[in-house]
Parts: sequence; structure tokens; C-alpha cells
Amino acid sequence: MSALSVRGLHRSVGATQILRGIDLDVTAGEAIGIIGPSGSGKSSLLRCIAGLDPIAAGSVAVEGRATRPGDGAVGMVFQQFNLWPHLTARQNVALALRLVRKLPVREADARAEAALAQVGLAALAARKPAALSGGQQQRVAIARTLAMEPRVLLFDEPTAALDPELTTEVLDVIRALAAGGTTMLVVSHEMGFVAGLATRVVFLDHGQVVQSGPPAEIFSQRAEPRIQAFLQTYLSRVAWVQA
Amino acid sequence: MMQAFIDSLWATARGLPVTLAIWLAAVVAGMALGFLVGALRFFAPRLVSWPLAALVETVRGVPFLVQCFLLYFGGPFVGIDLSPVMAGFVALSVYGAAYFSEVFRAGFNAVPPGQLEAARLLGLSRPATVWRIMLPVMALGVLPALANLAVILIKETAVLSIITVPELTFRVQGVGTSTFAFAETTLVLALVYWGLVEATAMLARATERRIERALAA
Repeated sequence: MSALSVRGLHRSVGATQILRGIDLDVTAGEAIGIIGPSGSGKSSLLRCIAGLDPIAAGSVAVEGRATRPGDGAVGMVFQQFNLWPHLTARQNVALALRLVRKLPVREADARAEAALAQVGLAALAARKPAALSGGQQQRVAIARTLAMEPRVLLFDEPTAALDPELTTEVLDVIRALAAGGTTMLVVSHEMGFVAGLATRVVFLDHGQVVQSGPPAEIFSQRAEPRIQAFLQTYLSRVAWVQA
Repeated sequence: MMQAFIDSLWATARGLPVTLAIWLAAVVAGMALGFLVGALRFFAPRLVSWPLAALVETVRGVPFLVQCFLLYFGGPFVGIDLSPVMAGFVALSVYGAAYFSEVFRAGFNAVPPGQLEAARLLGLSRPATVWRIMLPVMALGVLPALANLAVILIKETAVLSIITVPELTFRVQGVGTSTFAFAETTLVLALVYWGLVEATAMLARATERRIERALAA
């Protein structure tokens, strides 16, 4: 049984078709990298899997069961972190443990601190988001999601809102999670990161899967012309000076 | 002339407590009522929110002076017979509530949807999301506007002199009428209001900062 199974997923907004029949099967422990041009439906796919956006047709199942938002099957990390600004890092992580898992305050706090330690932020648990850097905020957001132990973890452009020098700390955390066997789908424009992280890369364009395969296949001359053209725009942005 | 100044200051001492009491009571009542209306306009179905919107627009669209007249002189015709002070308090509260409600409604609208989506995905119930996330985040956003509005309402209390509320303007104008020293008394009045507004604005900013510190950072 696959950890995540997406079948014939369609999503439309008005007359515009955002997703046009996506099929995707993810085995437990896989890290799926999702790439594609902007507007190709990457974020929509994640939002539909999470249940945040309504789907027109098709199905999403986690370990064989249909999901709904808040049932704990799917966790999501957003581009904009979406931490709650009035709560400390510890409180951000502990809130759902207390209110949803119904843990006593002390146990929720202990688990929150363990989750923060996992992302390297044990020392900053008492800080509020305004007193944290963007990279630290995103790591708190990851800890908040991890603490609820979702079956599948979704990352929606987790470093797109960060200054380049702050992306590394977030990417390191995601890499460690993948190495630890967390089932995840990662939408990212950090191609080097995706190539190194993903067990499988899915290239989306116009709401359809153009090609899906191991990174060595997608990031190569054997990939579809559309993919090569897309990746070319990244190559042209790389500064590389040889001495 | 000196006598007019001295009389004005004496009148100020008598009128200031009334002005401050009505203002404070109206800010508290207006904020509470405004919060209720703003929350209903945001959360309640259209059947409730639409009439409220019409009501708010009416209160905002009629000069405060005219509203005072309507309540104080028109009220008795429909069985609302209030003392000048009560009428002044009610009128100012309702007038303030209309504006406060708009601030609260905008505040609810301004809560980033992503923060609510995060709550939803983590399994927080709707009431918990409203209580634990929406209200505090909204409060952070509306603090400066609330403080500003409260300070503005101080100046509106002067209008209550027209319905014989014995507040600052009423008292000091009384000195002008009996001594014919209109310029001197009005100058005193202007300076007192200016000082009052500056003082409360400072107080409001300090309160704002305290609440902000308590909520974030």
C-alpha cells in the first residue's frame, strides 16, 4: 500500500484548469521533488493533497484512507512560514499538541522542545517569531508540523521567502528528515537541492505530469525537451567564474 | 480680562471631570459594542451582517451634532427620555461604536489566511482557531487604529455642550456668555483640549506598546 496515492486529480478555478489529471503514488520513505514553471500547478497539487483547495475530480488517499484537513495524515510547511506571531516558538509547536492531542501542558512543552531541538532551535524556544530570522522561523514551522507526526510531509517552496544565505539551514533540516525516512513531497526552485534530495522528481507543466523519474534522469540530456528548456533558465543564472 | 481667564480656569476644573468621565465610559462602551458589531459583520451570515452594515453606514453618515439632537430632543417622542449626561454618553458610545466596528472588521479581514490554514491542517477546531489565533492576531493589528480613534473621540465630547451636558465646552462657554470675553475663554478652551489630546495620545501610545510587547516580541 502506498503512503500517498493521488488518482486522476483535477482542479479548476472558474474556466481555468489548474490540475488536469494528476496520478502519483508515493511509497513510505520516499522524497518526491516537484519542479516546473510557475503556474504549472505545483503548489495547487500540494494544497489539494492537504485538502486546503477543493478538487473537481479524482481522489487523494494516505495509507489507503481518504483525508481531510486536520486529521493528522498530512502536514504542510508553507512558503510564508505562517507562524502565529503572538506565541513563542515553543507555544507555536505546543498549541496543537495541547488542543488537538490533548496532552497536558508539561508534556506538550517537552515534546515541543524535542521538536525544536530536532531542527536545531532548542535555545530559542522562548522567542517569538518577530525575534527570529526567516530561516529560524521556517525551522520552527517545520518543528510545529513534525510534532504532530503526520504520515506525509508537504513542503511548499520552503525557502522561496528567504534570503539566499538563510536557505541552507532550512534545506539542511529537510535533508536530515529525508535521510531519516520521512515521506515527503517538496516543491522547490532550488534545483541542486532537489537533485540531491529526491528519490524521484516530478516535472509538472500546465497541470500535468510531463515526466517523473530519478533525478539522474530528469536532470540530464535524456529528459524531455520541455524540461531541458526549463532547466536552461536556471543554468543561465548561475555565476561561475573559473580561475 | 484677567477675571475671564480666572473664571475660565475655574470652569475648566468643573467641566474636565465630566468630559473625562463621559469620554472614558463612551470609549469602553463604544469599543465593546463596536467589537460585537465588527465580529458579527465578519462572522455572521449576510442576514445579520447586512442590516448591521446599513446601521453603521447611517451612524457614520450623519453628523454627530445631528445625532445628539435626534437622541436628546427626538428621544422623548419615542419614549427615550434621557438626562443630558446619559444622552451624551449613549450618543458618543453609539457614534464611537460605528467607527470601532469598522476597525475590528478590517482587523479580522487582515489576519493572514495562511496562519488560519496552518491551524486547520494541525487539527485546531474552528472555535479554538478564532479564540487562540484570530483574536490575538487581530488585536495586534488594530491597536494603533483603536488608540487613534479613542483620542479623536475626546474632541467630539465638545459637541455635547449643545445638549447642555455640563462638560468642558459648556462650562467655559458659560463664562464667555456672562462676561462677553469670548476670545479669552475660547482660547483657554482650545489650549485645554489640545493639552488633553496630547496627554491621552501619549497615554494611548504607551498602552499600545505595552499590549504589543505582551502579545508579540
